[in-house]
Amino acid sequence: MTDTATAPVYTGVDDLRRIARELLEAGDVRVIIGWEAARRGARPVFVSDPAETDKLIFDTRCVHNLVTYLNPRRDHVAELGKIALVVKGCDVKAVAGLLRESQLGRADVVLIGVRCGGVLEENELPAALALTPETVAPRCYGCDNREPTLTDHLVGEPQPEPPRPVMTIDERVAALDGQPLEERWAFWTEQFGKCVRCYACRQVCPLCICEQCIVEKTRPQWIESSAHPRGNLSWNVTRAIHLAGRCVDCGECERFCPVGIPLSLLNRKLQDIVRERYDYTVSDDPENAAPIGDYRLDDQQEFIK
Amino acid sequence: MTDAHTDFEPRITAFVCNWCTYTGADLAGTSRLHMASNVRLIRLPCTGRIDPLFIVKAFERGADGVIVSGCHPADCHYTSGNYHARRRFAVFHDIMEFIGVDPRRMTFSWVSASEGAKWKDVVNEAVANVRELGPYEAYRALAPEAVELEPSGHSGAEVAS
Amino acid sequence: MSDRYFISDSDLRGLAADLLGAGTEVIAPVATDICQSPSAIAATACTLDHSLVDIDYRALTSADELDLDRGLPQLSLKGYFLPEHEALCSWKQKGTTIEVEEVPTEFAARVVLAAKPCDAAALEVVDKVMNWDYKDELWNGRREATTIVNLTCPMIDDSCFCTAVGTAPDDVKGADGLLTPVAGGYVYEPATDKGRALIEGNKARFSGDVEADTLGREADDERAASRRRVAANLEIDAESVRDWIDTHFEDPLLSQLAIRCNGCGACTSVCPTCHCFDIVDEQEGVGHGTRRRCWDTCQAPTFTLHASGHNPRDDQHVRYRQRINHKFAIYPLKFGEVLCTGCGRCTRVCHAGQDLVEILQAIDIAARRPGDADPAAAEPEEAAS
Repeated sequence: MTDTATAPVYTGVDDLRRIARELLEAGDVRVIIGWEAARRGARPVFVSDPAETDKLIFDTRCVHNLVTYLNPRRDHVAELGKIALVVKGCDVKAVAGLLRESQLGRADVVLIGVRCGGVLEENELPAALALTPETVAPRCYGCDNREPTLTDHLVGEPQPEPPRPVMTIDERVAALDGQPLEERWAFWTEQFGKCVRCYACRQVCPLCICEQCIVEKTRPQWIESSAHPRGNLSWNVTRAIHLAGRCVDCGECERFCPVGIPLSLLNRKLQDIVRERYDYTVSDDPENAAPIGDYRLDDQQEFIK
Repeated sequence: MTDAHTDFEPRITAFVCNWCTYTGADLAGTSRLHMASNVRLIRLPCTGRIDPLFIVKAFERGADGVIVSGCHPADCHYTSGNYHARRRFAVFHDIMEFIGVDPRRMTFSWVSASEGAKWKDVVNEAVANVRELGPYEAYRALAPEAVELEPSGHSGAEVAS
Repeated sequence: MSDRYFISDSDLRGLAADLLGAGTEVIAPVATDICQSPSAIAATACTLDHSLVDIDYRALTSADELDLDRGLPQLSLKGYFLPEHEALCSWKQKGTTIEVEEVPTEFAARVVLAAKPCDAAALEVVDKVMNWDYKDELWNGRREATTIVNLTCPMIDDSCFCTAVGTAPDDVKGADGLLTPVAGGYVYEPATDKGRALIEGNKARFSGDVEADTLGREADDERAASRRRVAANLEIDAESVRDWIDTHFEDPLLSQLAIRCNGCGACTSVCPTCHCFDIVDEQEGVGHGTRRRCWDTCQAPTFTLHASGHNPRDDQHVRYRQRINHKFAIYPLKFGEVLCTGCGRCTRVCHAGQDLVEILQAIDIAARRPGDADPAAAEPEEAAS
């Protein structure tokens, strides 16, 4: 537990603005995607005018994983021209994922890294708050990428570790694991019953990039499209499996879910599975191949007769 | 649901690879081995072809249990299909257990073309496990107004001739 | 002015209890402490200090659950009239015949208590399209069976703008009566026969003593104060906005305003007036299945995907434009109603920062004072190509 709470506004913002301005003035980069302050808190901003780079901020409200805007489907973002993206340590792992899967060339995007000490769980506030066990986003605890390496520029001073939240995600996953099967079934079917199939989780995920998502395949309809718990279970489990070893735990899916399904628990469980079975951890090194699609001759098979 | 349901005949769907398990099952048949008759086989070229969605769909459509079986590692007809399947199904198995699906409803095995006896054992064990667990009504009932299945053995009405 | 009645705090809860006791479904806002719910483990922002509540419209199991603190339920009343998913019919093939079982279109009488005026008004707005070229029996059946009692809203926050789009925090549009808080209880004003029938059937709970000078004035003041608070959030000329959108289809302003949208569709699911649905036939087995309808969203890429593979709205800014267009131009031109009641949920739920108050303000400026229109004031300009 840290003695001092993380200051609400991070250092390096002046450097961030200067670098952004210089990139735009040099002409190679046409748009900076970062965060700005707005009526309801921090939000993504697209800056094309060097004179407007003072809009860029970086504080504990800057939760959004901006890598989602690199999704090849977003034509109207791509049309703006070459992008310089502001990324935290968690965000940039998603860039590594895109590079790993050949969705992006390294030279296609300029990455401005920011040294982050964590973000708020409730981030839609008029002013940034210091991080405490009560206010910090649980997923920040134990962050392993506070010195991101996959960057072209890196601003800010090293920050203290994010505080330990009141209850960590690992504790909540462990509590679920400790429950009998029937109780887990009751828990998850209740949660999936809330799903309205808005697909916010998919839309915002930086690694959900398929041109045609399996849920949209109608001949045959593999995943029932109705929003009843049975269709929702199929959807949520399929999405989870498709992200095994790829999910960077940015937490955006859970944050965007309008009905509050605890996707972070599924995501963390997926990470536990690939770590325990295949000794794999998602990082910002594009060279380490994802576990699914790869194999070893001596992979675990204790569940196979 | 731990009482034995002796009056219920489990519906088991088995996804098996053509080169090993399907042939092994055939051998079990030609050898006149006695085994439970609750299993419907679906033949695929390789376990690597099996998408976890097949298993989900089987449960949605009334299967009480599922078997997935293929060639032993190093013997895959397509060299590495079963290695990919092994990782895929490890993740699937773990996630389904986390969601609360009883792993005894899903049986994974490597059964080669000469292992008719092993296939018999896999089938009998799977059927016995699922018989003890009971029908998987809970899964289908997740969709309200789900149409009732006809009694065991047939799903839906007779098809028009 | 319609007749007014007084109902005390305890009598209002008593009314709920009476209705429940008579077997009537009562839907009302219910507050749940996130950490007390059975799924406490699910709470993403659970601080274990019981300070966070979710408010939802629920069918009460007891009158004690009724929450009258006037917070905003997360989802609107829409789901009680157009469920997230519902069966339309099911079929079974028997030999050469097919049996089709339809769902009932008549529903048991039920009451909504303490509804938000924006949610009730939305129902009347959507009534128009549900009775346009096809009369939707399921929607109409539920509307007919339901008595809705609004509770004057104090305004939730600065994302509310009901007064800017033709309704108000004390409106009875779409509802059958209005409760306004006063000392010791509420002033109740029925607006329809159903609203009056509620009194007739529960006379003991209501009293006719509402003196114009005291309780009457208190109620009026409360209502006027709420209206003033909301009006301060946004004022637009809805007709100018409508006409501008209708004549500026290709204007880059709308693209710029949509730039950060992810197309997640959360806005459409929380919106009280969004009503688009998809119908699917779900085969359950050989020869039998169920036809269902469920909520759809124009923000999803597949909303306009043709069987040929062509998609006329194949990018997010085009889909976002369509949403603004439908709500503030197309629907008003067709039905004379703005397809929005200013509840603000879309803005609050958008975690990408799309802000409808800001967007309407920008369009209003563009519409009313074209010379002053400066898209850069609201959004960054597009990069020069």
